[in-house]
Amino acid sequence: MIEVNSLAKGFGDVQALSDVTFKAENGQITGLLGPNGAGKSTSLRVLYGLVKPDTGTAVIDGVDVIADPRAAQSKIGVLPDNQGLYVRLTARDHINYFGRLHGIDENLLENKANELIKLLDMASIADRRVDGFSQGEKTKVCLARALIHDPPNIMLDEPTNGLDVMTARAVRELISELKRRDITVLFSSHLMHEVARLCDQIVIISDGRVVAQGTTDEIRNQASEDNLEEAFIKLVEAI
Amino acid sequence: MHPIRVVLGKELLDGRRDRRALMSAFIFPLMAPILVYAMMSAMINLRAQAEETIIPVIGIEHAPHLIAWLKEKNVSVEAFEGDAQAAVRDKKRDLVVIIPQDYEQRMAKAKPVAIELVSDGSRTDALPTVRRFEGLIRRYNNNLASLRLIARGVAPEVMRIVVVEDIDVASKQQRAAAALNFIPLYIILAAFISGMGIAVDSTAGERERKTIEPLLINPIERHDIVIGKWLAASMFSCLGMVLTLILCVLAMSQVSLEEIGLNFHVTGDQIVLMIIATLPLGFLASSMQMLLGIFAKSFKDAQSYIGILTMLPMLPFLYLTFSPIASQDWMYLVPLLSQQILLSEVLGAKAVPLIAYFYSTASGLIAGLGLVMITARLFQKETIIRG
Repeated sequence: MIEVNSLAKGFGDVQALSDVTFKAENGQITGLLGPNGAGKSTSLRVLYGLVKPDTGTAVIDGVDVIADPRAAQSKIGVLPDNQGLYVRLTARDHINYFGRLHGIDENLLENKANELIKLLDMASIADRRVDGFSQGEKTKVCLARALIHDPPNIMLDEPTNGLDVMTARAVRELISELKRRDITVLFSSHLMHEVARLCDQIVIISDGRVVAQGTTDEIRNQASEDNLEEAFIKLVEAI
Repeated sequence: MHPIRVVLGKELLDGRRDRRALMSAFIFPLMAPILVYAMMSAMINLRAQAEETIIPVIGIEHAPHLIAWLKEKNVSVEAFEGDAQAAVRDKKRDLVVIIPQDYEQRMAKAKPVAIELVSDGSRTDALPTVRRFEGLIRRYNNNLASLRLIARGVAPEVMRIVVVEDIDVASKQQRAAAALNFIPLYIILAAFISGMGIAVDSTAGERERKTIEPLLINPIERHDIVIGKWLAASMFSCLGMVLTLILCVLAMSQVSLEEIGLNFHVTGDQIVLMIIATLPLGFLASSMQMLLGIFAKSFKDAQSYIGILTMLPMLPFLYLTFSPIASQDWMYLVPLLSQQILLSEVLGAKAVPLIAYFYSTASGLIAGLGLVMITARLFQKETIIRG
């Protein structure tokens, strides 16, 4: 379970977060929806343990991220928005490196890596260097290294951004699969249809604060609109 | 596996696969011994040329005894005809010696004989030859004078009142070391060149490729990441230094240094001592480069900063070359300077107190660790993940 409470964070003159409070329940898919620059990535970075909020708390499975970032980090798998890869390493090298950083036993590592390679359908590229990979192939490597330690919580920052239709669909299927495995999934997106179709819960962020939270129906009701997109625009512009 | 080992292993793998960085890391250790060999060979040739003096003489037939004596001393004498002053002025000859016609007659009567030596005092390149010829004539003069005194029943010692005896405090080995000062310089330069690729790639490169964010989300301490990277860069740096050291010594052993009166001999023990003296430098150089690398926004940025850093080893070299003072204890505490001195002293077969190694190693490692801690601090900052 992921919980944030009244997060606020400023970078110099820019107030990135003013008041962000939401909860992502176990075994549910929670979508962070908001325009660009609304504070989705900053909120996630607080949860990754990379950014310290000025005020507020972030808790993952009962662990305070700010007080004990390493313990919290061991409970999460992350697909950050910068999908940086080491160009001279193979896909498998990446998976192994991150697995070892999480302290996975060497004997288990190979099996786990093979399982993920099969799950993500990347056997043909597993032992190639990532230099020259397509955007979709790179995303698969990033997903594999985020999942190698079987995290109970997954956070994905705009996971389908820049992907072709086939890979975007594969990613959405993976997200559903993770839910079936009773994993807490929190992902950000600015694609309405994606969020509407996948999520159990939607959190709408605008200008550094949460403007609405609930199921698609609840959000439509809150804005008194039949269409989610109309509801989104109404809620965001209300600020 | 400890996180430091995990990071170290990954950086070494990444470093080994980086062909371009590998090339630039190890081309220097391979070039340095070639440079050493070429420079020493050139030095020997120059000296050999000076030894092989050819003296143009006008009136060679007037003094057969003197000419024979000169030839005995390995001086080639050639007969010269024409305008001696013009030949020297136009730099066709370094010097010309003119022997007067009445040489033999005056010699027979034991009267002073004047030999003219035509030379150009402004030409420094001709100076060694002129000096050498003057020295030879002085010796010839002394020999003859001694014989004449003996013939008159006087001991030649009456002429020797004050005698200068050369005592050179530098052992032959040390004189060789002075000539070999650039070997330490090359080894120290190798420390900066060989580890640079990894040091920059694992800091500025990691930021530029945006791999730093996913890396830092892993549940390991930032200082473990920095130390792992530091060790990887240091290993490359140390490897480069040891390679340079061994290849340079090998190259030196191929040069016939005895020809210029230098007795260069390095034992296995000395090589071990030199390696001990230099290794801390690999750790220090890498820590400096990583600190600069983390300040830089991009790989290119970092490389230009670090290019300037590589001038640093020149400072102690220049200091020692232009103010060759005796090594003092405090110098062993100054990284870079201490390595330069230790290497020169070991190469010069000078006894180095053990404490000097301790000072040098401790100061190098402490400085390196300090810089690594600063780098780790910078890794803690939130801004590190932003480009």
